[in-house]
Amino acid sequence: MRRIFALLCLTVALCMTGCQRAANGPVEITLQRFFGACDAQYGASTDVAAAEGECAIITTLVNRFNAQNRDVHVKVNIVYWPGYDQLSAALAAGDPPDLVTMHQSVISDYSLRGLIEPLDAGLKSVGVDPTGFTPAARAGVTRGGHVYALPFDNWAMLWHVNMNLFRAAGLVHNGKPVMPRSPDELLAQARQFTRATGKPYLIQSMVNEPSAYARNLFTFLLQQDSDFFADPRHIKLRTPQAHRVLELFKQLYDEGLTTKNQDYTAATAAFLNGQGGVYLVGTWMIGTYDQAARQRGSPLAGGYAVVPYPQLYPARDATYADGHSWVVPAAQRSPEKTRAIFRLLRFLKDNDFEWSRTGHLPAYAAVIASARWRALPHRGDIVRLVDTATPLAPGVQRQFLVQQIISEEMESAITGQKPIDAALADAEHRVNDVLFNLL
Amino acid sequence: MAHARPGRWIAVAALAVAALAMAAPLLWTLLLSLKSNDDLLRGTAVAFAPPYTLRNYGDILGHSAVFGWLLNSTIVSLGVTAGVLTLSSLAGYGFARLRFPGRDIIFILVLFGLAIPEQSVIIARHQMFSALGLHNSYGGLIFPGLAAPFGVFLMTQYFRAMPKELEEAAWLDGASRFKTFWRILLPLSLPAQATLGIFTFLSTWNDYWWPLISATNSSMYTLTVGVASSQMNFAQTNGLGFLMAQAVFASVPILIVYVIFQRYIVAGVRAAA
Repeated sequence: MRRIFALLCLTVALCMTGCQRAANGPVEITLQRFFGACDAQYGASTDVAAAEGECAIITTLVNRFNAQNRDVHVKVNIVYWPGYDQLSAALAAGDPPDLVTMHQSVISDYSLRGLIEPLDAGLKSVGVDPTGFTPAARAGVTRGGHVYALPFDNWAMLWHVNMNLFRAAGLVHNGKPVMPRSPDELLAQARQFTRATGKPYLIQSMVNEPSAYARNLFTFLLQQDSDFFADPRHIKLRTPQAHRVLELFKQLYDEGLTTKNQDYTAATAAFLNGQGGVYLVGTWMIGTYDQAARQRGSPLAGGYAVVPYPQLYPARDATYADGHSWVVPAAQRSPEKTRAIFRLLRFLKDNDFEWSRTGHLPAYAAVIASARWRALPHRGDIVRLVDTATPLAPGVQRQFLVQQIISEEMESAITGQKPIDAALADAEHRVNDVLFNLL
Repeated sequence: MAHARPGRWIAVAALAVAALAMAAPLLWTLLLSLKSNDDLLRGTAVAFAPPYTLRNYGDILGHSAVFGWLLNSTIVSLGVTAGVLTLSSLAGYGFARLRFPGRDIIFILVLFGLAIPEQSVIIARHQMFSALGLHNSYGGLIFPGLAAPFGVFLMTQYFRAMPKELEEAAWLDGASRFKTFWRILLPLSLPAQATLGIFTFLSTWNDYWWPLISATNSSMYTLTVGVASSQMNFAQTNGLGFLMAQAVFASVPILIVYVIFQRYIVAGVRAAA
């Protein structure tokens, strides 16, 4: 009996010591992110400047924050992209992480249900002023007049150009690729390119593609000033503007001016191997292709350029954009923990230049204006995006699913499995069905 | 014999082709895992020529959490397997040998469990585990696997097939019902136990969905969730070698289980059929 009593006392004493240590130790905040794991190379590194790629840069950034802030410990939960199933599960279980990566297009799904916290006051307390965000970043993280996230970047689809093939096709002027200014010019240049090189003008990921078609459609609808999401809970796609866009892509497909039957991996390799003129893919591929252009013997050697989507319609110059951001899930937290979260957010904001080396567009006007950002490869060629990058209307929910539905229907129309008008009607009906049934 | 020889060679050739077709995806995975991600970005044809590298495996092993995930998977798989074997044997014996009111109705209800997909109960289960505070714990990962209607069905059928005379002889010798079960019937059900154990272990090891939403804290990830979380965006394009190395790494323990218990697995498939 005495032994048991002694053991109990020892246990209680140990527990109290442990509790005491925890109370005096660093404040722990849990950060949930995607972008993969690269501990083998960067697990202990704080050298952000030496890191390359999304995973390496975010890993070294968090390591550096931990090293510089001994009173705070950031515990990282890495999740499989995009991680929203886990976030929703953690919220449902009442045990959410403290900071989470979130696409700006997804914020409405959580902000409208009160699952993430507005950050206005907290950001102000650490000197982060939303007026310093770029217009696209600010629009991307603002809902109902409140800032719900710290923007980390914006990204958009771009035209990655094989300049060697463009030169052979006579589509280079003053060292820059000649870009079309209308659908007719696009078709004419594509035909000229294919006649000269024997290769398709466009490389597109067209198989099992959940979003590229929709992003193309959004961009060219925005350029026509179409009010396709005038009501965030109702899409209008049975319009002449949408018909024009699908007709253009179908014609490119029918005339063999684009690659066919390629998935994302095949299309990415096709551009690297010089199998087409223009690859429609996002900002994140700039580094990979720039590196290939510096390698002797590569089909892209000395011949890579990248530009925003050309303005094909006269109404306005616009490109559909999304972005990564940091949100704080709603939960009860101590003032110390809340302060630590906002210190980390301030740190991430201050290091946005480092993150922009991934190819994504900085979320802060000051970084865009900086000489060091403009000195990065090709950034001067895409800086126009700062003014043209446009997210969907802020209240649109389930944007990933909306993109997937539209992409499925567009694929059917472009590959000739369904008439264009029927595909647009089906896309409109299916999207509105989803949005109508939202709780 | 002269007529049999060509037939035999044709059969061997056909089996060899079939074996190659079965092994090809595995060999392809292994080959890709030995190439660098940058090489594979240009196309997978480069897999047939050197240079080869073990860097992808180094990257996996260099992740500090990977052995923790291995341990979690082992604990969860063994825990579920032990639980399923215990509960299914007891329930199977009860349904096969005991008479009690409502036995047949309860057995039919258990069989209905075979027809209910996990997806239909996942939200209710998640809420229940939230209320019990079981997420991010071994209990949270093990308990759902213990409801195993197939195990109960299998063991019931197995016990039913055993001659009653065995039990009756034990009772004549003065053995209690539990002793009869423990000393006589349970050892005789070993082949069925082995089959059930192996299938339970394999399905638990490979489970992804429930651990994904129950173990949201990375220290509680199982191997399947952990290796998936390590993948960068567009891993199938920019990180194909790493992805394939992960597939090989995650399947090694399963491969070992297959090699050791091959005999039982074949017998199990035959018995289940």
